[in-house]
Amino acid sequence: MTGGRQGGRCGWRWWWAVAACWLGLIAAAAAAAELDDIRARGELVWGADQEGGGPHVYIDPENPTRLVGFEVDLADMLAAELGVTARFQQGQWDRLPLLLGRAADCVINGIESTPERARDWRCSRPYFAYALQLVARRDSPLDSPEALAKEGPRGPWRVGVLTGSAAEIEMRRRTDFAVEVVGYDGTVDCLEQLRGRVLDAALMDDCIASFNADRFGELRGIGRPFAGGTYTILTAPDTPRLSAAIDEALGRLITDGRLKALYDRWDLAGRQQMLLLRDAAEVPPARRGSLADLIRGALPLLLRSAGMTILLSVASFPLAILIGLAVAVGRLHGPAWLRPFLAGYVEILRGTPLMLQLYALFFLLPKVGLALPALVAAILGLAMNYSAYESEIYRAGLKAVPAGQFEAALALGMTKWQSLRHVLVPQAVRIVMPPITSDFIALFKDTSVCSAITVIELTKRYSVLALSTGRIAELAIVTALLYLAMSWPLSLLSRWFERRLERRSERSQA
Amino acid sequence: MIEVDSLAAVRAGNRILDAVTLAVAEGTVTTLVGPSGGGKSTLLRCLNGLETFAAGQVMIAGHTLIAGDHPPRALERVRRDVGMVFQGFNLFPHLSAIDNVTLAPRIVRGMPPSEARSRGLELLDRVGLSRFADARPATLSGGQQQRVAIARSLAMEPRVMLFDEPTSALDPQMSAEVLDVIVELARGGQTMVVVTHDHGFARRAATQVVELVAGRVHRAGPPAEILAGVGG
Ligand SMILES: Nc1ncnc2c1ncn2[C@@H]1O[C@H](COP(=O)(O)OP(=O)(O)O)[C@@H](O)[C@H]1O
Ligand SMILES: [Mg+2]
Repeated sequence: MTGGRQGGRCGWRWWWAVAACWLGLIAAAAAAAELDDIRARGELVWGADQEGGGPHVYIDPENPTRLVGFEVDLADMLAAELGVTARFQQGQWDRLPLLLGRAADCVINGIESTPERARDWRCSRPYFAYALQLVARRDSPLDSPEALAKEGPRGPWRVGVLTGSAAEIEMRRRTDFAVEVVGYDGTVDCLEQLRGRVLDAALMDDCIASFNADRFGELRGIGRPFAGGTYTILTAPDTPRLSAAIDEALGRLITDGRLKALYDRWDLAGRQQMLLLRDAAEVPPARRGSLADLIRGALPLLLRSAGMTILLSVASFPLAILIGLAVAVGRLHGPAWLRPFLAGYVEILRGTPLMLQLYALFFLLPKVGLALPALVAAILGLAMNYSAYESEIYRAGLKAVPAGQFEAALALGMTKWQSLRHVLVPQAVRIVMPPITSDFIALFKDTSVCSAITVIELTKRYSVLALSTGRIAELAIVTALLYLAMSWPLSLLSRWFERRLERRSERSQA
Repeated sequence: MIEVDSLAAVRAGNRILDAVTLAVAEGTVTTLVGPSGGGKSTLLRCLNGLETFAAGQVMIAGHTLIAGDHPPRALERVRRDVGMVFQGFNLFPHLSAIDNVTLAPRIVRGMPPSEARSRGLELLDRVGLSRFADARPATLSGGQQQRVAIARSLAMEPRVMLFDEPTSALDPQMSAEVLDVIVELARGGQTMVVVTHDHGFARRAATQVVELVAGRVHRAGPPAEILAGVGG
């Protein structure tokens, strides 16, 4: 008795210690590393996305373990100026600022100076000047950026951009253009799709266009670069000394010609860069809008993307059910030669990530001459992925129908397929209704994966809005509420099915 | 109507039917009796091709079944002429009584729905269940379910009806309801083979009694002869 009580008290103390440790960790994580911490550590951690591509940061094609790019060299030079070494931290490009204060001390990755960024983060003095270059296939009828104002032969021009980039902001801002903007996570994906005729054009920083010009020989720049700006190095808001040190270091690299030499080495027109940087105007920080303004601006966009989420779900799920049913019937009652193929289909789709399947449908099929629009690829990918799960559910359902049912049907002279269609499948469907409705809710949430292939649904829209406005928490709540408003009726429906089924089985036992 | 010649069936290495030979004349009732495990169900299921057999031959309702597998088409043709009623009823639980009865005529014989329905209602009336046409099987008693199952088989107008212990799952009163229906069919000249432990029924309705023991025809003959001195 006594021993037990002591043990209990000991347990409590242990829990307190664990809680204190966690709180300590959280507090430590909340404070971003300042200049002194970085010097003590001997390392400047810089965030960038190697998927974003060259000439900024990319994998050396000669040596895939090595990272190269003019920003890799710049990070090394800056770290040396601070008396430390540079360490690379990978992050998704449109989310790099979120690394600050957590996984990285600064972000150096072609981040354009914008009023919003000046408001939410510390922005260094400009270190590079860019302009936007429109790119299209050589055989494209597009002859200048202005030509985007009139629809192309296939309707609005489909223009690819890097998600969250100045090119995307510019394209979405230009309401005078007849374009459909498609966001990508990497430049190479975007250019591949342009080559594969999924896109009509792409807009990107001029240095990226010229960097990729040799690899994509069938593409060419359309007109002169326009709508320029500068790149800035981001640091966390509570690191004034670090950001001042970075500014000073950049100043030294500019005045003593080392930055010009770096750009010349990378064929980035060093002298031209220095002149542009000298003349670059400072970007004033944006004002923080009211919550009401935020919601008024964001809600219509979020609602429209919620519509996309619904479209993806209601278009793909019936397809998944049909394919799943066909696969299940084929595996149980189909010809023997077909069964291993169907089993393979199920295992492959269940054993690989949905993201990879979507990627294959969207980015790899065009290489064999089958370019699916993103929406079609998304619906097909979701349907195929879920058909594997549905088929397993149906298989269990079909097996749960008593053998006597099949015999009774056959004894009446029905063929195997008539028995399946009129006797076995209708009963299996009733048995599997509850798990299938709950799968629908799962698919509904899985639609967010489709953003990987440029489909903008609710989660993607949230992420874009949250990053561009900096209102991460507020918009997260609005988005979560929208998801709940959509999935709640679904769970009610699934529970209703379950209750109905229970009642029926009670009755048949009675 | 039925001629079984030297039928042999093997399951899991055991000879379950061995040299079974019997004949059933048109318009007569044959009851199959014998101890449990004697092969009665297997014999019945060989008659409509639900099971295959190793040797011998079955001629039924103008069709011939030989040993081994048959193409599905051939079996479907046999089964259209041979109805079967099971011990466990096996009604389709997702369909109402009338839909259970009309399903096969509609999809197998292509009968128009209205005609199938009026004939189905007639049949339900014949088994005393026209009031329950729209009831789901789960809401019916066992005896009622078995009577719907009989109506369902009759809807295909089979030349032969096979019954596999149709009343074993029922209490005496419900058994009586079902047996009355079967006796009525017998009076109407329906050719039938009935597996049953109910010797009273056999005496009442059977033309011929065949006793199967360990897969062999132990005795066969008129009920008075075979069932003499046996109680029940
Ligand atoms: N598929 C099978 N596999 C193995 N044994 C079977 C199979 N079907 C029937 N049997 C056996 O055959 C014998 C006869 O079965 P059955 O025809 O059901 O007899 P009855 O209906 O006279 O009781 C039983 O011993 C049973 O266990
Ligand atoms: Mg039996």
